Amino acid sequence: MGKVLGQPVVRNDALDKVTGRLKYPGDLNMPGQLYAKMLWSKRPHARFQMDTSEAEAVSGVMAVLTAKDVPRNEFGLIFPDQPVFNFDVVRSVGDPIAMVVAETEKIAALARDLIRVDYEDLPVVTDPREAMKPGAPVIHEKKPSNILKSYRIRKGDVQKGFAEADAIVEDDYFMPLTEHAFLQPEAGIGYIDDEGRVTVHSAGQWAHDDRRQIAHALDLPEDQVRVIYTPAGGAFGGREDLSVQLVLALAAWKLKRPLKIVWSREESIRGHHKRHAFYIHHKVGATKDGKITAMEVEIVADCGAYASSSTPVLANAVLLSTGPYRVPNVNVDGCVVYTNNLRTGAMRGFGAPQAVFAVELQLSKLAEKLGIDPATLRLKNVLVEGSKLATNTVVPAGVGIRQTLLEVTETSGWSDQGPQRPPAHAPHARTGVGLACGWKNVGYSFGFPEQASCTAELYGEQHIERAVIKIGAAEVGQGLNTILAQIAAETLHIPYEAVEIAELDTSVVPDAGSSSASRHAFMSGNAVKGACERALEAWQRGERPAMMTYQYLPPKTTPFDPQTGECYPNFSYGYASQIAEVEVDLETGDVALTRVFAAHDAGKTINPQTLEGQVDGGVVMAQGWALIEDFIQQDGYIKTRRLSEYLIPTSMDAPRDIVSCLVEVADPLGPYGARGVGEMTMMLLAPAILDAIHDATGIWFNRIPVKAEDVLLALKRTGSQR
Amino acid sequence: MLARPGLPSFDYIRASTAQEVVRLLKEHGEGARLMMGGTDLLVRMRQGDVRPKIVVDVKHLPGMSEILYEEGAGLTIGAAATMNQVAKHPAVRAHYPLLAEAANSVASYQVRNRATVGGNLCNASPCADTTPAILALEGRLVLYGPNGERELPAKEFFLGPGQTALQPGEFLTAMRFPQLPSGSAGKYLKLGRSKAGDLSLVGVAIFGFPDETTSSGYRFRIVLGSVAPVVLRALEAEQVLASQPPGDETFALAAQRAMEAATPIDDVRGSAVYQKAMVRTLTLRGLRDVWEQLAGRKE
Repeated sequence: MGKVLGQPVVRNDALDKVTGRLKYPGDLNMPGQLYAKMLWSKRPHARFQMDTSEAEAVSGVMAVLTAKDVPRNEFGLIFPDQPVFNFDVVRSVGDPIAMVVAETEKIAALARDLIRVDYEDLPVVTDPREAMKPGAPVIHEKKPSNILKSYRIRKGDVQKGFAEADAIVEDDYFMPLTEHAFLQPEAGIGYIDDEGRVTVHSAGQWAHDDRRQIAHALDLPEDQVRVIYTPAGGAFGGREDLSVQLVLALAAWKLKRPLKIVWSREESIRGHHKRHAFYIHHKVGATKDGKITAMEVEIVADCGAYASSSTPVLANAVLLSTGPYRVPNVNVDGCVVYTNNLRTGAMRGFGAPQAVFAVELQLSKLAEKLGIDPATLRLKNVLVEGSKLATNTVVPAGVGIRQTLLEVTETSGWSDQGPQRPPAHAPHARTGVGLACGWKNVGYSFGFPEQASCTAELYGEQHIERAVIKIGAAEVGQGLNTILAQIAAETLHIPYEAVEIAELDTSVVPDAGSSSASRHAFMSGNAVKGACERALEAWQRGERPAMMTYQYLPPKTTPFDPQTGECYPNFSYGYASQIAEVEVDLETGDVALTRVFAAHDAGKTINPQTLEGQVDGGVVMAQGWALIEDFIQQDGYIKTRRLSEYLIPTSMDAPRDIVSCLVEVADPLGPYGARGVGEMTMMLLAPAILDAIHDATGIWFNRIPVKAEDVLLALKRTGSQR
Repeated sequence: MLARPGLPSFDYIRASTAQEVVRLLKEHGEGARLMMGGTDLLVRMRQGDVRPKIVVDVKHLPGMSEILYEEGAGLTIGAAATMNQVAKHPAVRAHYPLLAEAANSVASYQVRNRATVGGNLCNASPCADTTPAILALEGRLVLYGPNGERELPAKEFFLGPGQTALQPGEFLTAMRFPQLPSGSAGKYLKLGRSKAGDLSLVGVAIFGFPDETTSSGYRFRIVLGSVAPVVLRALEAEQVLASQPPGDETFALAAQRAMEAATPIDDVRGSAVYQKAMVRTLTLRGLRDVWEQLAGRKE
């Protein structure tokens, strides 16, 4: 632990946030701004014709923008398969088809409602298992099949592996689509800046990529587009795709006037992508002494109407579906399939929670079948330094899964005799304890270009009075700007308060990649450390101010081999083990999460407070995924349109006690040994909760959310209801 | 200047006399809406479900937020008293704990700081958490209108979802509760999908007291929320409890009768079958709880 590093310093955005001084996207305004309102598709799959003349005739309407106004009407994070505004065909009710820009918000809304749209319905397919069959309705006319992408892994001989097994567990799992439900829906302003650049001031997760996509759609050189970020009240992957940025840029560029847009919560739920629904078939075999011999996994993920980040999400799930374990024989087949549901993409965990959910429940069932303690079974099989992954390459150094497992069992009092169950609070309740492990890559995978750049500027005379850190890394509530300032202060040997993180403006700061893949502590941390080291050398040589830019490049990763899946997928992983304690009401079926133990190997801790904040937040998010959150689409229509219908956990639902155990296995490549933790905190509690429900009731659930009603019904079926 | 995906424009009037409210209601008819806490009205206005031209704030009328208790006379609660005000009031807690418990179960603490008991009643939602307790305690409602004041038993107030017995120009000013029978006890139990913020999937209020006129020696009132178009008295269940000796067998039968009285529908929050089953579970639990209190009080 240094003077600044490893200390729970006060967040450098705390004062601005609690005093209301900080401007969130919805607080931004420009003199003379216009207002925009979007028109969304009312049908999940249809041809349509639109008449905007009545809307255009409304006094105060400046423009009704549609597909014909966009020079290159396409965008997308990985590849551009989504129109900015749909033209002639809509593929989901999340498709925007027009936007009205007017003098006031009221006029914009009024004119929007005057746009006439005639739909001619097309056949709708909403189950990816149906959509992948030949003869299913085609969702993208230019694509021969609805299967967007398939990946596979082949290692060893699974038939031989299962033949050697004394016990085999095989089951089907389902996880539904999930909404991010971040604080404050999408908002922002667009304008032409003093240098004539199309400028968007909003919030997101990767300003430089927003700029790239906007420039592509508007057919402008990138230096004619400027993206400025203000901090967001949360993102969780839901701000990774473009939302309001592109339409703001388009309107500002067309009208040469500033404008503002604010999505309602209903629009936010409709307009941004979701976490993928997954169907997983999983088979695992082991010898009677608990050695895993083989795994066979089939994955089908629902892509929704457009690709978003579906391809890397699927790749992650395929890779991580064997868990943080040594498995000699592996077959994995995964595909992600277009449907007429809302599109799916990045959300905290990026395919890991779904993969971990299936494999961890499998391990728990395997332990039951073999009569081995679930913690012992996992300890026998976890990855260690030098282990080979299913991709036939060695896991990067710094493997902390074993330590997290030992730490979490010891802290919670889980001994060789099994877990310690807390007493129940009522005669009609039963308690249970469950365990799960998990792993997740840090940084981009499978050969996706990975880098982070930073400029450090040191000001002062005799000593460094002020350091300005310029880095294109988005603060989305996770505390990034705080830990980057800590790394800078530590490297420069100056007080934490002397470090200033510059505003994220693509015309000023260099690109550091997205706020995703739990990567900024590692990637941007390394960029800040490298820039500060070099700036300090310049300072010591007498340069005033001393300014240096540094680009950090991690070890190269490679994509799956199409036949075998062989590759070097990642340069770093984070590991975790969590234990859930639940109390099940046998008469109502209600499951209360009473306590959680969470052991995380995030490498060396930069700030224990922001780290524990991540753990607490991830735990509650996973609780919602496991027990409460139920996004319902029926024939492509959203049934849970707002937060009174789509429920997320409240502070009243959160467990009374979340015990964080920080395991610090240094990452040899991470800045000061740090790695990353943002996603790892939410990826493994759901299977731990379901394991605990089984411990309490003897019932295995294979799909989430597990609602009170489901529990009661299962209790009745099995007769264990009192 | 601020763009908000928000409220349509309307005129806000802060009323200072009851006569003024009546005049505005008569003048604007459907175009006027009364507001107290606004926790429901403003959301519905934002959603476009209601589009009033004027919003009349009545919470500042004299006595609207007052809670008065007088030994013998009973309790009067101004329609604009907030949930937290009711839940925390010493006299309510001492003499009408069922009402305090129900008020305290509404949504979240922050919402309870704004939401009012009167507003909860006037929405006439079958899910309103305070309605079952008010019916169980046989509250009476004070309405003020063009012809002055009148009083109505609470059970006659609810005509259907969102439908009340309020006449044009009339509004709710207070709730009155009689002095409760000595040795009485109550319990409010509810289930939702989350612990705060969700509408109740099922709500059950139970109120019981010794009564020499019944053959069991006790009288119970059972009121069910969220499981019918209006909040419902389970009269057949009550009859069971009046005629048969208290005990688990009787309670189970009464719970069964309560379940049979419920007519919930399937929706995104839960199935009708589950809601019905939970009426039985919560009624049984509530009866056992109230009986324990009654038995304890007797000793």
